[in-house]
Amino acid sequence: MIHSLFLINASGDIFLEKHWKSVVSRSVCDYFFEAQERATEPENVPPVIPTPHHYLISVLRHHIYFVAVIQSEVPPLFVIEFLHRVVDTFQDYFGVCTEAAIKDNVVVVYELLEEMLDNGFPLATESNILKELIKPPTILRTMVNTITGSTNVGEQLPTGQLSVVPWRRTGVKYTNNEAYFDVVEEIDAIIDKSGSTITAEIQGVIDACVKLTGMPDLTLSFMNPRLLDDVSFHPCVRFKRWEAERILSFIPPDGNFRLLSYHVSSQNLVAIPVYVKHNITFREGSSQGRFDLTLGPKQTMGKAVESVLVSSQLPRGVLNANLNPSQGTYTFDPVTKLLTWDVGKINPQKLPSLKGTMSLQAGASKPDENPTINIQFKIQQMAISGLKVNRLDMYGEKYKPFKGIKYMTKAGKFQAGLPDKWTLEYIKTELLHKEIRIN
Amino acid sequence: MPYLGGEETVRELRRALSNPNVQSDPLRYRNTILKVIRTMSQGVDVSGLFSEMVKACATVDVVQKKLVYVFLCSYATLNPELSLLVINSLRKDCQDPNPMVRSLALRNMTNLRLPSLVEYVEQPLTAGLRDRAACVRRVAVLGWAKLHNLQPSSEIDAVVVNELYSLLRDPDPVVMVNCLRALEEILKEEGGVAINKPITHHLLNRLKECDIWGQCEVLRVLQRYRPQSEDELFDILSLLDSFLVSPHPPVMAATLSLFLSVSSSLPAVSLAALERVSGPLLAACGSGSREMRFAAVCHIQLLLRSVPGLLGVHYKRFFCGYAEPAYIKERKMQVLVELVNDENVAMILDELKGYCTDVNTDTAQAAISAIGRIGRSYSDRCLQILTGLLGLKQDHITSAVVQTMRDLVWVCPQCSDTVCLALEGCEETLQDIQGRQALLWLLGVYGERISSAPYTLEVLIDGVRSEASLGIKMELLTATMRLFLCRPAETQDMLGRLLHYCIEETTDMCMRDQALLYYRLLHCGIEETRKVLQGRRSDPSLGVLIGRPTKPVSQWARCFNTLEPLSQGAVEAESASRGNSSTDGLASSITAPLSLSLSPAVSPEDFEHLWLQRQALHTERECVRCPAVLHCSPQSLQAAMQLVNIQTLAFTPQHTLPWRVYLYTHTLSEDGQEEEEGIKVTLNQQPRDDDALRQFLTVLTTVLNTLSSEKD
Repeated sequence: MIHSLFLINASGDIFLEKHWKSVVSRSVCDYFFEAQERATEPENVPPVIPTPHHYLISVLRHHIYFVAVIQSEVPPLFVIEFLHRVVDTFQDYFGVCTEAAIKDNVVVVYELLEEMLDNGFPLATESNILKELIKPPTILRTMVNTITGSTNVGEQLPTGQLSVVPWRRTGVKYTNNEAYFDVVEEIDAIIDKSGSTITAEIQGVIDACVKLTGMPDLTLSFMNPRLLDDVSFHPCVRFKRWEAERILSFIPPDGNFRLLSYHVSSQNLVAIPVYVKHNITFREGSSQGRFDLTLGPKQTMGKAVESVLVSSQLPRGVLNANLNPSQGTYTFDPVTKLLTWDVGKINPQKLPSLKGTMSLQAGASKPDENPTINIQFKIQQMAISGLKVNRLDMYGEKYKPFKGIKYMTKAGKFQAGLPDKWTLEYIKTELLHKEIRIN
Repeated sequence: MPYLGGEETVRELRRALSNPNVQSDPLRYRNTILKVIRTMSQGVDVSGLFSEMVKACATVDVVQKKLVYVFLCSYATLNPELSLLVINSLRKDCQDPNPMVRSLALRNMTNLRLPSLVEYVEQPLTAGLRDRAACVRRVAVLGWAKLHNLQPSSEIDAVVVNELYSLLRDPDPVVMVNCLRALEEILKEEGGVAINKPITHHLLNRLKECDIWGQCEVLRVLQRYRPQSEDELFDILSLLDSFLVSPHPPVMAATLSLFLSVSSSLPAVSLAALERVSGPLLAACGSGSREMRFAAVCHIQLLLRSVPGLLGVHYKRFFCGYAEPAYIKERKMQVLVELVNDENVAMILDELKGYCTDVNTDTAQAAISAIGRIGRSYSDRCLQILTGLLGLKQDHITSAVVQTMRDLVWVCPQCSDTVCLALEGCEETLQDIQGRQALLWLLGVYGERISSAPYTLEVLIDGVRSEASLGIKMELLTATMRLFLCRPAETQDMLGRLLHYCIEETTDMCMRDQALLYYRLLHCGIEETRKVLQGRRSDPSLGVLIGRPTKPVSQWARCFNTLEPLSQGAVEAESASRGNSSTDGLASSITAPLSLSLSPAVSPEDFEHLWLQRQALHTERECVRCPAVLHCSPQSLQAAMQLVNIQTLAFTPQHTLPWRVYLYTHTLSEDGQEEEEGIKVTLNQQPRDDDALRQFLTVLTTVLNTLSSEKD
């Protein structure tokens, strides 16, 4: 199926090659280089390049082309998915998947590729199993290996290979059985000057850390599963059950994994957790401007808004700002005109504010009065979409596990203040593109 | 610099490898071998170290073994004699108590790819098939396939084949899948592994246990199976249903492929499957990986050939992201063109308009031609956009717009007025050959309506000596000839100059011949010339047909989930055959005894008017006996009718009953209303002429008969 794999960097050097069926000469990549030259940008190289005797299917990730050489008809989706799996595995092993990392770990790379394909057919691709066959390199292990002379190859036959569930190894044992789930949501919003929401949406993930003995079968149900749009699951989740009952039922992989990621669109009434009141005025002909900004919590269900950081790009005409924060510290960079205000925690009794004057360049025309204001914050113990886990049950094992669920909301791209016409257009198109991507 | 200083490195490595001090220290030994592999991966030829590496193979250290094997497998073919030494230690490893060492040894033994070693390998492989560790069996099974590849001519023992067949029932799913893969390769001559009912059911039942790669493989092999009864078919389909909406695109695609191949006799089932799969396919279109998105969009294009309305509501998903690569944008635009309908046309055109100014010129041009394609159904809006784009005065945009207009005018002649107006002045911005050729063609054909046409041509004729492109010169010649026919006074002088240049000065034979032909043609008289040059323009009756005919699923099912949809360029890049060549006119001689004519064509509105008006007067009902033409497509009917100069004006959608077709021809105006089983023809004629009527009916029956016989 997959004859050979070439790794090519952005400047067109082959820095690694691996052959499974027969050795294919490097010259086959000339066709790829031709296409690379024709493409104006690196990502414009077409993913499938036909050559007289082979097909080259390539995937570009982390500025590296992974080029698979194919000699017969294959399902293209299959090869593309496999190449992505290879990259994911490298990333999993080395933390980053860069040319340097691959070159440094060339031996592990060869071992991995050898295990992942045999005779061109995928063999072991689950990171769980691979990690038992070939231990990932860590600094500590490299040191220990150097001293003791032991190897990073597992001596034992990986038990997971006999497991019916490919993502979980058998014979897992823990003294403390625990399962933790983190619901993390990022809210993207644009709010106009009057405080009404132009657009808002939520990207959420549920990350899990499961350390359970044996072969547990978990079910997790939500109070309000209909909230979720556009969900993507870890392969372990039984999709049928979700479709029918909106319940997540799965045999979890061992350790850390991302159970699902989802998207809550603006139709589902996204509550905005903070509001901003600002008043920035410049008078015609005067070299002074007034700056007044107040923040406050809104619909946070009593939870504190923490780690608040406000930043704003002030107009170019502003020379300096002399402001007085009611709490926290602010900085103004006169070169980039970037104002940042580290607020900290918002106290609902005493709202944080930043007031003062700005000095303008003499003779400059009246600058735009509506700079956009970006806000970052965190809210612990709350998922802003209102998503709540109802129950977590375990079947298939006798013991009683310790269960924990944590919620957290963060600001993603959170902008306030009515942007001028141009930015509004820009943001609109950007959002449109984003919406398309999400859709 | 890997290619330089290679020899020095190799010498150094050899010294280190043969140093007894290094050999006695396992760590240093391994590090040296590591260095060899690194050098190898940089492209240096280290084959000279083969004998040293063979020695290093005899070790208990698994990592060192692996490294040496990597080396040996790359260079074994260059040193077949020395490789013989390795076999011994490999065979010893095959007896190792550790299953990992056994599988490693077995795998590398088969990876050496030396025909001379086959006899040593067969015995451990046979033992490997019965090993109690699954991972050894996995390797052994594939090992046989590798052996077969090595000597494709030699037969693999029937005993082994039987054993592989029995291993299809192995408890380990990977062994099962590998067996399938191996048998597929070994039995390639016989058409692959035999797929009968028990094997199929066994494979289907175990499909869930396999990993996604295995599932794809099994699904692919099962495509050869033909269910024996309808019940069995539906059992299989319902079993596969959950895979159809698998979150993994490869599995989903493989399942759909299988669905389409087993249910090829049941079009309704295929269509239902397409509908079910549209969700996951759309999800794949939004996947994080560009390549996956690309592959998914390409496959959606296939689906749309059969079910054009399938994704109409989801058109927004095919809007291009700003940072998407050009190849995806191009495909997405092709999909958008297919998805246009009355509701979304404004949105889609608005979006496409944005792409026309893309920095990437290919994307911009693709967007412009996409607008042109939409223009066939929504010409006013599109022409407005296209004319607006001309105002940008960008070289590549103008060129694409002019080419698009040329293609559009050919299909929709009613647009010609707007196009003629828009063309004024754009010759200044045009730079590239294709754009100028298109402009010349338009100037030639519609010259009488473009006031500045002769002046534009004159400038070009004055500069013809410095013109490099032959294509432009030829086009210029034809255009000037055509313009001469409608505006002789302004063109005569320059045509003379051009012909003189072409006949006397130019060295290109092709061009000279063409010019001579025109010259002699002019001698024959102006009427003769007109007949040749202005023979057949685009056919106004083509204008009614909009959109592509839907094709049956079976037509493309075969290439679903293969490389074909990805590698073929723009789906059937439409090249409208324009009346470029002067011989066109001669072809359209009329063969029917009754002389029918197409010109002047009636517009659909006029026809409707006439039809309603005359229906009241007199109607003639005739029943023509003719095999059912019900299943012939409107397009072929139209083409056939056109041959005998009957204009097809309109028809009802294909599956409505009775299916009506409205036809029109000039000497008499008729109309046909056709029904299943014999056709009822309603004729409106003015003035009444029974003789002509009879003849018309003969013509019509002949055409219909020919059509239906073609169909069989």
